[in-house]
Order: sequence, then structure tokens, then C-alpha cells
Amino acid sequence: MGAVEGGGESKSHARGGKKHKKKRRLRIRIDMTPMVDVAFLLLTFFMLTTYFSKPQTMELNLPADEKAQVEVAESNLLTIRVAADGELFWNTGMDPANRIDVKELRKFLVDKNKENPKLITLLKIDRDGKYNMLIKVMDEINIAQVTRFSLAPMSEYDKRQIQKARAS
Amino acid sequence: MPKIKKKRVGYALDMTPMVDVAMLLLTFFMMTTQFRPEEATAIDMPASHAPFKMPETDIMVVTINKDGRVFLGVDAQSLRAQLFGEANKLRANMEIEDRNVLHDLLIQARIANPKLRTLVKGDKEAPYGPVEDILGILRQVKITRFNLVTELEKN
Repeated sequence: MGAVEGGGESKSHARGGKKHKKKRRLRIRIDMTPMVDVAFLLLTFFMLTTYFSKPQTMELNLPADEKAQVEVAESNLLTIRVAADGELFWNTGMDPANRIDVKELRKFLVDKNKENPKLITLLKIDRDGKYNMLIKVMDEINIAQVTRFSLAPMSEYDKRQIQKARAS
Repeated sequence: MPKIKKKRVGYALDMTPMVDVAMLLLTFFMMTTQFRPEEATAIDMPASHAPFKMPETDIMVVTINKDGRVFLGVDAQSLRAQLFGEANKLRANMEIEDRNVLHDLLIQARIANPKLRTLVKGDKEAPYGPVEDILGILRQVKITRFNLVTELEKN
């Protein structure tokens, strides 16, 4: 393998009065094998430890002031409630809640927004629920290109609504 | 009859170009690699279809692990020293138990570096309660635009 050779000269120098008339230059051979071995080891190490995939991010805009009240007509309000076990319920205005599957949510949101372009979506997630549900529902909302939505804390009233929907 | 000695052919393969390429690759990987900062807690991120890449610089990450514990991290070491004290400047994340402390730290960090972008990184299994509190705090300190860190969902 890669070796460095030096001093290939065979030219002789005459040196007066010395024992050796000709001084042969030494051929230097450096064995590069161990260095290359180490280099390969390092290469493997860096190739395996490096990671290129950066995580994705989802942008979220929330209104600045919690106290700001916006009057919304009941018929324009779509509430999506997520129960602690991850079940989804929706209702418009003050109507009783209906169960919906996460998989149907995308189409449902698109349809609802086509029906009523002024629709405002309100997402309420139970405090005992999973963070994953927020991402899942938000993802569906983003894919359905619903821009008017907000997050709200879940109240006791919402929990009762969910229970009612379950009972029926 | 004398045996005809077969002459062995001595291979001399010139490895130099291969070694050159290997060295180039090695240099490339050494330059581009960035070591993942030591995480205070393991986070299993949820998947989404969000198209934005996570920014690398000027970031402030609020991490919520699966037990609902909250950590705060910033990328710049100088800012870390300022926020968490000189002794903790090498730690990527600091656990914040008190919500009021988090509130103050977020304000301080934003004053120190107004370009700071806020990322919320939650574990998939994290309870929503603490997340809701964090979102409330972000709202209080007037960080209305922030990003949720997710993994890319493949389908």
C-alpha cells in the first residue's frame, strides 16, 4: 500500500580522504498501512455518527392576549374536543357533540370549510390527554388548510358534552 | 523430469487513489459532523406532515418529556451562561420546575437575543396538561409565533 520512497539517487559524492569513497543514500520507505487503517476507522466512525435528517417543525400562531374576546356567531364555530383517551368529538355552535375518527377528520374539515367559509375551528384538548393528539389534529388542520383556528382549554362543560355524546 | 516451477505473479496494487478518496471523505465527514448535544431527557417526537425544517441557530427549545417535566435550552453558550449561570453553560437543557422561573427566563432570553426563535419539543406520550401550561406561558410572554418540533411522517 501507499508507501513513500525517498532518495532514489545513486549518485556518488567523492569525499576526499575518507574510508568510503561512495556514500549511498538510504532509501526511505515509510509503511503507510497503519495510518490508512486508522483513517478508515475514523471514516467509518464519522459516517455512522453523522446524521443529516433534521426534524421538521410545525408553525403555530396564537393570539397574544387571552383576554381578548372575539364575538363569533354560534353557527360559525366548530368545536373539536379531544377526550383524555384520544377520542374526538365535534359540534357546531351549541349542538350536541358527535364522535369522529381521526382518519376522517381531514375530509370532514375540508367539507365543513367549503360549506361555510367563515368557519372558525376551536380545538379543546383534555389536560389528561396526550400531546400527540395536539400534533395529530393540528396536522390535519394544516393539511386541510384551515387557517382560522384556535386552541382553548377544556372546561367542565366540555367534559360533560363528551360524556353526553358517549352515553347517546 | 524436473518440475517446471510456476512463477508466482506478484500483485502490486496501487492503493494511493483509494486512500486519497478515503481521506477526502474523512475530512468531509469530520467537517460536517455535529455532535448531538447531550439531551437531558430522551424525547420521542410525534410525526407530522409539516414541511418546515428546524432552524439551527438562534433557537430556544422548550422540551417536555413523557413525564411532563419541562426543560429549557438555548443554542448559544454565552446565553446559556447568562440564563442558567456560568456553571451550567455546557448543559444543553436545564430542567425548570417552577413555571414562574420559566416565564422570567423566556423574557430574559428574548431580551438578550431578540432574534431567538422558540421551539416546543414535546414527547409523543407527554400529557397535554403541562403542554397547555407552556403554551399559556408563551402567550403571556408574548411569544405568539413558535414552532412545534416533529418528525416527518412517511406516507
